[in-house]
Amino acid sequence: MRIAVCLKQVPSTNEVRLDPETHTILRDGRQSVVNPFDAHALEEAVRLKESLGGHVTAISMGIPAAETLLRDAVARGADEGVLLTDRAFAGADTLATSYTLAAGLRKAGPFDLILCGKMAVDGDTAQIGPELAQQLGLPHLTEVCEITPVGEGRARVRRLTQRGGQEVEVTLPAVLTLVREINTPRMPTLAGVRRGEAASIVRWGLAELGVDESRCGLKGSPTQVVRTFVPVRARETAFLSGDARSQAEQLLKIAGEVLA
Amino acid sequence: MEDRIRRLTAEDEAYLRDESHTVGAAEYIAFPRTEEEVRGVLRRAYEAGLPVTLQGGRTGISAGCVPHGGLVVSLTRMNRAEGMRRLEDGRYSVLVQPGVVLSELGKWVESKRLDTRGWDGESLAAYAEFCRGGEFFFSPDPTERSACVGGMAACNASGALSYRYGPVRDHVLALRAVLMDGRTVALRRGERFARGLVFELPCEDGSLLRGRLPGYAMPSTKNTSGYYCREDMDLLDLFIGSDGTLVALTQLELALLPSPAFQWCVNCYFPAEGQAIGFVKTVRDAAEKAAAIEYFDGDALDILRRQRAENPAFASLPPVPDGAAAAVCVELHDDERSRIQARLFRLGEQLRAAGGREEDTQVARTAADVAALKFFRHAVPESVNMLIAQRKKQDPVITKLGTDMAVPDGKLDEVVELYRRGLAEYGLESAVWGHAGNNHLHVNILPRNGEDYRRGKQLYARWARAVTEMGGAVSSEHAVGKSKADFLEIMYGPAHIAEMRALKRVFDPRGLLGRDNLFAFEKEGE
Repeated sequence: MRIAVCLKQVPSTNEVRLDPETHTILRDGRQSVVNPFDAHALEEAVRLKESLGGHVTAISMGIPAAETLLRDAVARGADEGVLLTDRAFAGADTLATSYTLAAGLRKAGPFDLILCGKMAVDGDTAQIGPELAQQLGLPHLTEVCEITPVGEGRARVRRLTQRGGQEVEVTLPAVLTLVREINTPRMPTLAGVRRGEAASIVRWGLAELGVDESRCGLKGSPTQVVRTFVPVRARETAFLSGDARSQAEQLLKIAGEVLA
Repeated sequence: MEDRIRRLTAEDEAYLRDESHTVGAAEYIAFPRTEEEVRGVLRRAYEAGLPVTLQGGRTGISAGCVPHGGLVVSLTRMNRAEGMRRLEDGRYSVLVQPGVVLSELGKWVESKRLDTRGWDGESLAAYAEFCRGGEFFFSPDPTERSACVGGMAACNASGALSYRYGPVRDHVLALRAVLMDGRTVALRRGERFARGLVFELPCEDGSLLRGRLPGYAMPSTKNTSGYYCREDMDLLDLFIGSDGTLVALTQLELALLPSPAFQWCVNCYFPAEGQAIGFVKTVRDAAEKAAAIEYFDGDALDILRRQRAENPAFASLPPVPDGAAAAVCVELHDDERSRIQARLFRLGEQLRAAGGREEDTQVARTAADVAALKFFRHAVPESVNMLIAQRKKQDPVITKLGTDMAVPDGKLDEVVELYRRGLAEYGLESAVWGHAGNNHLHVNILPRNGEDYRRGKQLYARWARAVTEMGGAVSSEHAVGKSKADFLEIMYGPAHIAEMRALKRVFDPRGLLGRDNLFAFEKEGE
């Protein structure tokens, strides 16, 4: 089974720094980690490979420093890493990202299964998986918590949605986005780390992918960020004094202000 | 002045115990918030002849804060940061009250969010620079993160990272303290020294404390057995590790270290204990010092295997490879990625030479993975405590018997051999883990019944003698408190214990403070 896993590099904390010009997140690669949901996707890909045989390709669109992420994926059991990196890809929204990723997957494929995390913890859109499927003309299922290939190009999939569970059979190839409940990601072994560091990570830019520049990066993004800011949370404790009546009045006034 | 002393009631029962699970007794309790209130409380107890037991987070396991009558003074409400300094070498220090909880301090420093209300101009300026600069951390890391810094200073706490960065002592730059009679002392490291073994220490009211330090030679190991004493010593050091017997600490200036850019943890597994110990010695000899070298024996690993399989709370533990009978966890800190990677690969070569397999070796390079391996380290003592709590239900006399002894570098094999021989001879169940880099293993005897418990205590005392003969320490990070006073006497002998008593009288002539810690209380003339 040939499996692709899409990985995104995200800031490791909520204290992100924003570009004052473009209002997008500054990705300097220092305080970055793999999107936690994607770690589960990678683990599932490696488990499927271990039980059925096959090949796992980890793919990411990002800055050159995201190569570390792909080496780490190889350390955890992926067979190869593909990095889609080009200045033209910067500032992409989910549409431009899925366009570029789809091109990368077409070039690196074909794949029987494309796995993504349910969503990225920085953008929280959960759009990439379904958009990828659309771009590639494949079926997709979101919030997947169990994958059982049943042969003849089909897989049985359990979904864990907010309303309950669902069991679906899907034809392969397909795009699946996974929830955390599906597995516990493993830690790399030292032998794995050596493999990861020795791996040659494939790098493809605009030219190699042969994509339409106007559909990539900021240019290809219909979503324009007007303003971003870190919310300031203030917490204040006030003590009400006076008799019961006056305290109740004060409380009513505060409630009114809060609800206004 | 409101001195906040009140009668201790049934609701305050928690203040009669700590994590040693021994229960004390007291009539009164106070929760002072300021140094001025501490002075008032202690002075009143002094005048009334009331014994005083100081408390912080009550996370100690030597019963140091378990009261033996009188007044409990809980410093937990003195939990503020009172200022910050920028040091000459570009580092920072934070001035904290003794009741600040370690995990809180960690959060403040990491997020750079401190409550600066009431700070002086120098502190605010230092804080502003601190916020603009790089990352810093407070390195002492006892397993129990709910410990208070005052208690940590009182027992000279350490933890895994003290292998590289040293115990609390190495990070206290200055302190303020209150004597039993209400006088105050302020000390800054490097300013006031003993002359030989004789010292003079001025109080802030102009009076002078004069005394003589005990003449014992401290072991050249990690050590928190009795008072820290050596010729010409910095007098500030006398109060670190003094087990709440000399003064009440009211402010500590703690040094912060620049955070390394990379913190990696490596769990190395071996088929036999001897191989793991051999590996520890190799890693210790490496040119670049590891941040921590921790050890877990086969029994500890079996406990983790069981927990992982049976207890959902432990399901996320990294798996222990089949056939592993010992583990060594090495933590590496570095500022250069290429360098830490080279160190990791070198570790791999040493591991293979010692009989381990790189395929079984878990490497944590991301925050999530590092957290998982730290959970692994902490899950062992936690699981053992759960096991003991279960057995205690059958026989209330049972408590965990955990050793805290360290020996000099050349004696690691010998001490492991000593422990194994004793455990086999006595037929006791155990789990061994701890700070192998410092030759400081916690042997935890797991009594199945009262008889095991009694025999375990005998064995423990035998080990205290043997470790003393090896030039080791009977307590290396948990402090002596009340439960290890016998071992302190084994280690130093009655003459030196008498010197310690004499030293205590200089600060506490009525013998009111921290009674029965280090040595049993004796009334004058008895």
